[in-house]
Amino acid sequence: MPRLTTRERRERYEREYSFQKRHGKPFFPNAVFHDTIVSLVVVALIMGMTILWHAQFGGVPGEGTAERIGGLLGPAYEAKADPGVLGYDPRPDWYFFFLFELLRIFKTPELLIVGSIIIPTIWMVLLIGWPFIDRNPDRRLSRRPIALALGVTVPIVLLALTFYGSKAPGAAGAVSNEPGAAAFAAGSCSTCHTLANAGTAGNVGPVLDQAMPDYARVLDLVTNGQGGMPAFKATYSEDEIKCLAGYVATWAGATGTTPGPNAASAKDVYPAACAKAGGLFAGTAASAAGP
Amino acid sequence: MSTLLPPPAEIAKIPVDWVEERSGLISFGKFMLFRNVPKDISWLQTLGSALITVFILQATTGIVLAMYYQPDPDTAWNTIKFITDDATLGWLVRGMHKWGSSVMVVLLFLHMGRTFLFGAYKYPREMTWITGAIIFILVMGMSFTGYLLVFDERAYWATVVGVNINGTAPILGPTLSYILMVGPEISTHTLSRFYALHMLVLPSAIGGLIALHLWLVIRLGVTSPPWSRMQSNEGDV
Ligand code: HEC
Ligand code: HEM
Repeated sequence: MPRLTTRERRERYEREYSFQKRHGKPFFPNAVFHDTIVSLVVVALIMGMTILWHAQFGGVPGEGTAERIGGLLGPAYEAKADPGVLGYDPRPDWYFFFLFELLRIFKTPELLIVGSIIIPTIWMVLLIGWPFIDRNPDRRLSRRPIALALGVTVPIVLLALTFYGSKAPGAAGAVSNEPGAAAFAAGSCSTCHTLANAGTAGNVGPVLDQAMPDYARVLDLVTNGQGGMPAFKATYSEDEIKCLAGYVATWAGATGTTPGPNAASAKDVYPAACAKAGGLFAGTAASAAGP
Repeated sequence: MSTLLPPPAEIAKIPVDWVEERSGLISFGKFMLFRNVPKDISWLQTLGSALITVFILQATTGIVLAMYYQPDPDTAWNTIKFITDDATLGWLVRGMHKWGSSVMVVLLFLHMGRTFLFGAYKYPREMTWITGAIIFILVMGMSFTGYLLVFDERAYWATVVGVNINGTAPILGPTLSYILMVGPEISTHTLSRFYALHMLVLPSAIGGLIALHLWLVIRLGVTSPPWSRMQSNEGDV
């Protein structure tokens, strides 16, 4: 279609549209009838999901802060949030899965911002600005090859990202047997940090195998927090923190069973502190049966 | 004074005329209802009105939930538990709100897809698309802020991760995370802030934008499908 001047475009549009309106039908009752049916179907669907969700609830848990389990559509509620809880694998609601998956694709620290900021920003700008980008005046799909291609690819990409995001494994992977590994993997550290020895792939905080902090630094960060890193002094005991710090200092940047470059900085406390802390901290992978 | 009353139909008209004379709302309503739309509009064009229905549903169930909910880290989860386990039909209200949000996101995608495929964002409807796109982003904001409110494990950790993702942005990122969480960690203030966003700021912004969106739809009329054969024969270009 040839490019039109602004005035031609307006006149043409007005001619066509007033013609269609003149030969149209009144909004009420025709369109209103269809609208009502679809609205009723949608409300029935929502109600149906709610009833199915509710029908599969387990009993009300006796313990004050426990989860009430459900069926196909998930629990009524999970256990009450506890910032110090061991072993939670965070997952967003399904409509953020595509973002979750993007972050898994770009998970190295240098690339992280591509998935977290750059792609979503480009996407939002394209979304809002789309009417100014697509200047083709034709509305028939056969004459809009680029729009058609996008209209097919974008949903497929989004669906694929959502699908893989939904199947993304939890943060905890294969845990080594070193003291402290299980606590690191099962604890919230795994949510945010990648540490090969503990088999974790969190991508909120730095990749510890690359940061390779020494003992004093880990001790300080875990105790007091910094920036996006929470403080754990209220969550873990002193020995537990020493154990985690010793573990990270020793095994960050490790290759196989050869400890990392900062192992020496922790040799006075690690693994002794882990034995003192006991439980999951002293234990091996076998005792770390996180979710 | 005469004791003769006008017939009932006339009496019923009195308040209607009163309102019409002072506001013009009645003739506006009539114009809305009886304006012509293109003859061949399709079922695909009902998704927008379904979105209005779901928005109203979310607002109503949300108000009921707000009557029981307390945005405090110590009690938030317990009030959710109370609504779900104990309050009469609480599960229904909470469930409709919860599943309504998912259905709304799906409908948004479908409605967006239909306006895209119809080329309904083209002249003169660019602004309709733009207001819609902003609504879409704000609705995602609703989902994000609403997710924390339950304050169970999943809510808590998903929000920690979400906020920290924000934090990876250069320059503004850390500040933005700090503003969202009101400090370095999720606390009482975070929950109040998310609650204020979720039930005051975002819904009023969305409501206002929906009104604008609808005004544009009424002013410009809905597009006929691109496959429409309804062409004036007064000469096509
Ligand atoms: C909520 C996410 C989160 C959790 C949970 C978390 N961290 Fe962090 N961590 C971060 C962030 C973000 C940073 C970067 C902080 C900065 O540099 O301002 C960080 C930094 C660190 C560093 C410093 C790395 C360097 O650059 O030297 C260490 C060590 C560390 N974390 C260990 C841990 C350990 C051990 C745990 C578990 C007890 C843990 N983290 C739990 C997010 C987290
Ligand atoms: C809560 C959110 C929304 C509501 C309540 C809503 C409501 C409506 C309604 C009732 C219509 C009339 C025609 C129809 O139903 O298809 C419409 C049309 C339209 N909407 Fe939306 N909408 C919403 C979100 C969006 C979004 C996210 C977009 C796109 C980014 C969008 C773009 C459009 C466009 C371009 C039209 C004009 C269609 C035409 O004239 O044929 N809307 N909207």
